[in-house]
Amino acid sequence: METLNFLLQGFAVALTPENLMFAAIGAILGTVIGALPGLGPANGVAILIPLAFSLGLPASSALILLTSVYAGAMYGGRISSILLNIPGDEPAMMTCLDGYPMALKGRAAEALAISAIASFIGSLLATVGLVILAPILAKFALRFGPAEYFALFTLAFATLGGITGKNQVKTVVAACLGLMIATVGVDITTGNQRYTYDILELYEGVDFIIAIVGLFAISELLFFIEMHAGEGFKKVSLNKLNLSMKDIIQVLPTCLRGSVLGFIAGVLPGAGASLGSFLSYTMEKKIVGKSGYFGEGDPRGVAAPEAGNNAAANGALVPMLTLGVPGSGTTAVLLAMLISLNIQPGPMLFTQNAELVWGVIAALFVGNLILLLLNIPMIGIFVKLLSIPPKYLMPVVTLVASVGIFAISNSPLDLYFMIGFGLLGYLLRKLHIPLVPVILGMLLGPEMEKSLRHALTISDGDWTILWSSGLSVGIWAVAIAGLVLPYLIGPVLRRRMAAAQDKDHSIVD
Amino acid sequence: MIGDRILGVVLLLLAVVYGWEAAMFPEPFGGSEAVGPETFPLILSVVLGLSSIYLLVRPDEDEEWPHMKMLAELGFVLLILAIFTLMLQPVGFIPATTLMVGVLCWRMGAKPLPSVFTGVGSAVVVYVLFNFLLELHLPAGLLKLSGG
Repeated sequence: METLNFLLQGFAVALTPENLMFAAIGAILGTVIGALPGLGPANGVAILIPLAFSLGLPASSALILLTSVYAGAMYGGRISSILLNIPGDEPAMMTCLDGYPMALKGRAAEALAISAIASFIGSLLATVGLVILAPILAKFALRFGPAEYFALFTLAFATLGGITGKNQVKTVVAACLGLMIATVGVDITTGNQRYTYDILELYEGVDFIIAIVGLFAISELLFFIEMHAGEGFKKVSLNKLNLSMKDIIQVLPTCLRGSVLGFIAGVLPGAGASLGSFLSYTMEKKIVGKSGYFGEGDPRGVAAPEAGNNAAANGALVPMLTLGVPGSGTTAVLLAMLISLNIQPGPMLFTQNAELVWGVIAALFVGNLILLLLNIPMIGIFVKLLSIPPKYLMPVVTLVASVGIFAISNSPLDLYFMIGFGLLGYLLRKLHIPLVPVILGMLLGPEMEKSLRHALTISDGDWTILWSSGLSVGIWAVAIAGLVLPYLIGPVLRRRMAAAQDKDHSIVD
Repeated sequence: MIGDRILGVVLLLLAVVYGWEAAMFPEPFGGSEAVGPETFPLILSVVLGLSSIYLLVRPDEDEEWPHMKMLAELGFVLLILAIFTLMLQPVGFIPATTLMVGVLCWRMGAKPLPSVFTGVGSAVVVYVLFNFLLELHLPAGLLKLSGG
């Protein structure tokens, strides 16, 4: 059992007092980020990267901190779904369906506790899945040559819009913009300057951390101002928790089914946490729907999507760690963290940086346990956070983001870049151009070009090498399917998701 | 409709200029290779060009754009952020932050007094936290001069 050995070593890394502290801080910060209005997980992790970076944390501690934030944000997102019927982030959408009716019936505390338990089971099982699947996939990925990698990067972009994506061309546009930004600077292989216009600051290229913070955090501020969303939500109160062992046992099978489905959705390209929670909810309703009262506050309707989206969030780490190809916005931001720590994800990560990677995986187990312990007794504190009005919160968040960027190299120019990217992010979002492919393009651009170069050097300039092996043909086929399928299946799925939401609203009205 | 059309035109221009520049790259030292510095940008230029033509032909519905007044408001917010950046080193972190956070709170609908309070409070807390706890030095600016 080689894997178990590695995992034990990982626990040795994760259980040092210092790293335990980082996991706890990350878990708290993550829950806060998930719970606060207007701070999604990708946004929150993005703001924290420059801070972790300029503090000079060792790679393992920085990663443990940020993966705990990531896990915590998934917990936090459900709080406003249940109490206010407003999903804190997109994957928490399905939790509104039964969570809010439960809250209306005066069982908000039970809904929160059940969702915390379901989140715990989902994350736990998915992390076990990650431990089993990641080394296998990493071994398999060693057979990938540069041609396969080039195809794989294309696949990552093609499936990023997700199966429910609306306009695939806009995903392509976004990816192109990101890749184009990545070409700015001195070309590593030939030493040629590209698009630098003799500006010294551009020689090293555009720093993607600045771009990420600008695109997410600053554009979010602009959106809040435009929508006059400064006032925030009404105050909410919690009832006293009254949960018996029987209630927990009742939702256990639901959690197990939701976790498996969610994990699969997370690992597969183009599905992601939103689809994971949607599928778990729908399946649960089909299986036990008749005996329950779904849509009217059935605890199983809370457990299913929560187990699903937390499992999917951990499942999404599998392709990110083993192939270096993230499948979602937040994992893209985690990839940015890895690259800026000079760690190249991919199959070699598991051999070259075994201690680091297993430390992070062990930290997921630890962080998850901390989150469960945190979320049941301390839920009242997190609930209070919901009533912080954004008019005070957003300026302070903007400040923290700016300070982080400034601290990287004490350069005001970086801040001007951040503001510029904020404007760009606002315009792109207004035009429905997704931001995640832009970021992924900036991150993957250099690697993608490098694999194209290697492939064509091997073949002596013959372009057919890109689709000459069975493996690469397979990857290309999936990529094309990922780009075309949303046009066929997307409208149907979107309608179903919308229908589920409408039904929910009719109950509320 | 119009939004996507304008976007299409801008992107098409970008694709052409970007591709044109790539084609003009000097040949790298040591002779040309199968994949030179221009190959990848040229591929991107073609893909972006084709996508922008698609946007021109089949634009999506427009999102509602804010009125002039709101655009001015958003411009003002960006300006405040720029002023913050400009003030940061010569004037110092605490005054620059007080101004930025205070004005942003106010523009987001807070009353003047709580805005100023939030500005000063966050400036001092972040400054103390960074300089003394995390040992990342933020520019002291005028404070340092007056303190000797």
